[in-house]
Amino acid sequence: MRYTILLVALFSAACSRAPKAANEVVAVASAKVPAQPDDATWEGAPEYTAKLVPQDLVEPRLMNPSTPEVRVRSVTNGSEIAFRLEWDDESKNDMPGPSRMVDACAVQIPEKTEKDLPEPQMGQEGKRVQVTYWRSDWQATVDGRGDTIRDIYPNATVDHYPFQSKALEKGSDAEKEMAQRYAPARALGNIRSGPRSQPVEQLVANGPGSLSPGEPLSAKGKGAFGKKGWAVVISRKLPEGLSANQRTHIAFAVWQGQQQESGARKMRSGWVSLLRKGE
Amino acid sequence: MARVFNWQLGREMSYWYPESRPQRQFAAVFDTNKCIACQTCTLACKTTWTSGKGQEYMLWNNVETKPYGSYPLAYDIKLLEMLNGQQWSGAKYEGQTLFESAPAGERVLGWRPEQRDYAYPNVGEDDCAGQVDHGEFLSLPHMNWFFYLPRICNHCTYPACLASCPRGSIYKRQEDGIVLVDQGRCRGYQECVRGCPYKKVFFNPMTGTSEKCIACFPKMEQGITPQCFENCIGKIRLSGYLSPPGKARPDNPIDYLVHIRKIALPLFPQFGLEPNVYYIPPIHAPVSFNQQLFGPGAGEAMKAYRNAMNDPDLASLLCLFGSTEKVINRYHRQGELAVAADEKGVELVRVPMREPVHIRPAVDQKNQLVRINCP
Ligand code: SF4
Ligand code: SF4
Repeated sequence: MRYTILLVALFSAACSRAPKAANEVVAVASAKVPAQPDDATWEGAPEYTAKLVPQDLVEPRLMNPSTPEVRVRSVTNGSEIAFRLEWDDESKNDMPGPSRMVDACAVQIPEKTEKDLPEPQMGQEGKRVQVTYWRSDWQATVDGRGDTIRDIYPNATVDHYPFQSKALEKGSDAEKEMAQRYAPARALGNIRSGPRSQPVEQLVANGPGSLSPGEPLSAKGKGAFGKKGWAVVISRKLPEGLSANQRTHIAFAVWQGQQQESGARKMRSGWVSLLRKGE
Repeated sequence: MARVFNWQLGREMSYWYPESRPQRQFAAVFDTNKCIACQTCTLACKTTWTSGKGQEYMLWNNVETKPYGSYPLAYDIKLLEMLNGQQWSGAKYEGQTLFESAPAGERVLGWRPEQRDYAYPNVGEDDCAGQVDHGEFLSLPHMNWFFYLPRICNHCTYPACLASCPRGSIYKRQEDGIVLVDQGRCRGYQECVRGCPYKKVFFNPMTGTSEKCIACFPKMEQGITPQCFENCIGKIRLSGYLSPPGKARPDNPIDYLVHIRKIALPLFPQFGLEPNVYYIPPIHAPVSFNQQLFGPGAGEAMKAYRNAMNDPDLASLLCLFGSTEKVINRYHRQGELAVAADEKGVELVRVPMREPVHIRPAVDQKNQLVRINCP
C-alpha cells in the first residue's frame, strides 16, 4: 500500500512538473543510456525545443513548412550519447511504396569537435558531418514486420518468384543468390535496402547530395508513435573529443511522410549548441 | 541551369547540367503500325529483370492502347495539361520544356503517380465503352481509330530523372548513353519518379530504391539486341546507335530512319528530354493526334511510310526489323535484298524484300483433285 502511494505521488509530481527548459541541448550524465523513448531516465534531462525551417538551400526545396519544432532531450554515459526527439504528427506513415513517403528524423553532429563549424546543411568539403538517421518503416521491420510484399500490401497476390523454384533448396545459398539477382540494391550491399537489425543508419556528408555510409558508431534507435506523434531515441558513440562540460553542436531534421517529404524535402534546424554535462 | 542544344526542338534550351553527349547513343525505332499488343515484350522484360520482391507492379516495358490507354494512369495527359498548350513554329518549338517551366524550388515540372495509378495496366483500354445498340453494324473504314504504343525508357539525352536526383544517383553512360540508377547510391527519395515525364522509373518498396529499364546493357555490350526487341512477335523493333544530327550515316539504320528520312519520331519531344526511342507513327490515326505525340514531323512521316512500297531503300530497311537478334550497325540494299552487318562489317543477315509467292491452280489436273485451302 505504501508503495502504491509513493508511486502515485511520484507520478503526479512528474506530470505536474513542466519539463525543465534549456537554451541548448544538454546531455546529462547517467550510468544507463536509455534505449526506449518512455524510459524514466529522460525525465532527468532538460528539454530543448529546436525550431525547424524548410530546407531551402538546394532544389528540390520544401516549399510548404510542416513540422514547426522538435523537442529534444539527451543523456550520455561517457561513451555513448542518446537523444530523444519528439514531434507532433497527426498520422503515422510507416508504409513504403510508390508515392508513399515515411516519417523519419535525423541528428547531425560535426565530425570534429572544434569551434569553426561546418555548414549547417549537410556540412562542406573538408568539414564533414555525421548523420544518424531513423526511419519509421525500418522501425516497423525491426519491430517484426515481415520482409514480403504482403506485409506492405496485404491484398497482393504473387504467383511465383524465381527464388521459389522447386530446384532451389530452401535457405540455401543458391536460393539467396537467385533472390539477390532481382534485388540489385541488396546485391550491392546498399545499407538502406533492408532486412535490418536497427532502424537507424550512420552516415557522413560533406555537402548537400553527398550523404554516404559512415563508420557504424554503434548507432541504435527506437521510435514509438503515440497520441501526439513520434518519440524517437537515437543513440551513437559520443562525438570524438567531447569531454565532460565541453560543447559541440548538433542539428535536427524531420520528415513527415503525409506531406510527401523525403530526401531534400525536409524540415531542419540550424546548429544548436550541445553541452556534455559532467558527472 | 546550363544552355544546351536540343535538335528535336530545333533550338537551345535550359537543362540542369551542361551538354555532354555520349560517345554513341543507344537508340531504337518502334514501328507502331506493326504492334499487335501481344505483350510478349512486356513479359520478356518482366521475367528477365523484374521478377523479384517489390518489383511485382513494375513494367519497365509496357504496351498501352492509344488514345485512351496509359500506364501509369494518365501519365501523358496530366503533364500535357500542366504544360498548358504550347506551340511549335515549323520544326522549332516555341513553347516551354519541363525544365524551363519548373516551378520555384523544383528542378523539373513533374508529378508523382499514386499507387492506384499503377494498378490497372491495360484494364479497359481495349474494351467498348458503351453498349452496342441493336441494328449497329461494322462499317469500313472504321469510324474510330486506335493503336498500340509500346514504351520503354527513352535513355534520354537530357534525362529528367537524372536532373531530378539531388544525390546524383542516376548516370548516363559515356560509352552508349544508357541511363542507369546506381543501386548502391540510390536512397529512394523518388524524385526521379516525379521527374520522368514518361514515368519509366519505379520505386521498389522492398529495397527502398528506384529501378528502371537498363536497355539490357549486358546484351547490348555484346552486340545483342535487348530482350523486349529480340522477343517481339510483331518484329516492330530495331535497336542500335544514333549519331548526332550533323554526323548521320546513311548506312546506319537508326540514322537513316531518324535523321535522313525523318520517318521515326521522338515521343513527346516538347517535354525537352531528347528521348531516344523513335516511333514510326500509326498511319491510320489522325495527323493532329500524331503531332501531339510525335511532334510536327508526324504528317510527313506518315506520308513517307504509306509510300514505302514505292521506296525500295526504305522498304528494304523496314524488312530488317526483327530479322536478327544481333544489333545492326550497317545496312545496304542489294537489288531485292536487304543486307545487314555488324559494327565490323561482318554480315549478319540478308532478307528478301518480297516473300516468294506461289500460286497453284484450284484444280490439280494430274490427280484430278480440287485443292482446299487448309488453315
Ligand atoms: S525516359 Fe524517364 S527514366 Fe528514361 S532516361 Fe528519360 S527521364 Fe530517365
Ligand atoms: S530494353 Fe531490356 S530492360 Fe529495357 S524494357 Fe526492354 S527488356 Fe526491359
